[in-house]
Amino acid sequence: MEVQLREVDATGFETLRILGECDLYNAQHLTRAALERLARGVTHLRIDMAGVSYLDSTGVGAIIRLVQSAKKMGRELRFSGISGTPRRVLVMSNIISIMKEDATPEAKK
Amino acid sequence: MKPLIIRKLIVDEGNELFDAQGMKYVEFPSEFEGIRSFTAKVLEDCPERFLEGNLLEQQLSEIIKNGIKHGNGCDPRKRLRVWYDLRKRVRFIVEDEGPGFVDLDNWNDFFKRRQTALFNEDFDAFLALASWRGPRSDDSDGGNSLVAALEYWNGGMIYSARRNKVGVVRWFSHGSD
Repeated sequence: MEVQLREVDATGFETLRILGECDLYNAQHLTRAALERLARGVTHLRIDMAGVSYLDSTGVGAIIRLVQSAKKMGRELRFSGISGTPRRVLVMSNIISIMKEDATPEAKK
Repeated sequence: MKPLIIRKLIVDEGNELFDAQGMKYVEFPSEFEGIRSFTAKVLEDCPERFLEGNLLEQQLSEIIKNGIKHGNGCDPRKRLRVWYDLRKRVRFIVEDEGPGFVDLDNWNDFFKRRQTALFNEDFDAFLALASWRGPRSDDSDGGNSLVAALEYWNGGMIYSARRNKVGVVRWFSHGSD
């Protein structure tokens, strides 16, 4: 899995772009990268998941932890590009209900 | 308003899901690093129509992970035994050598509170209950695999009396061969 940082865009959000498989072996990279941005004072953070090809329960757990942390810190955390199997996993675990999503065509799949 | 339906993990030693007659069999050492490759090995001849992208792989991987990590404690001397049948539907029996899922009843109680919070749209409570944290949970445990499993294994998910063996089945709407 690769985590790419994109600078603040016109909407005021900094974006972390996740590429590849987010699983039991590497989901901690997502947690670490996002918590590091929040700790550095980023107030509006987006996780772009359009490049995620595989998501397991450890990856879902990482997302839960980030949502909990952002809420506790009073930060705005959004997600984009969730589709395919990762979306089905998030729906089956009910976690999609607590994720704020950008309105993109991918989010409707 | 839709009624609140809460599924449960069930213990039923005599359940037909534990009948391994006619199933293929493979066993693995309890190596954490091997979890995904073991899963791929079991599914290497799986018909494409059952894979649903990588959803089947993901769900089976969670069961294998639970057996290797929580059941066998990643002790490579302990074996994980897998029976599988990929005809008409997908069915698996996975058995480890551990003490069994001793927190099963606590997990059912947790799941009831979690789903009730979701049903009531109490998202603060739901967020606090989003992940199951057992006595031995760590950062590689998402705490949500069983939630999705109860949804995915639509033909049943049953534990043995010792709770160290689980039988699961998923049927597909596009029917049998």
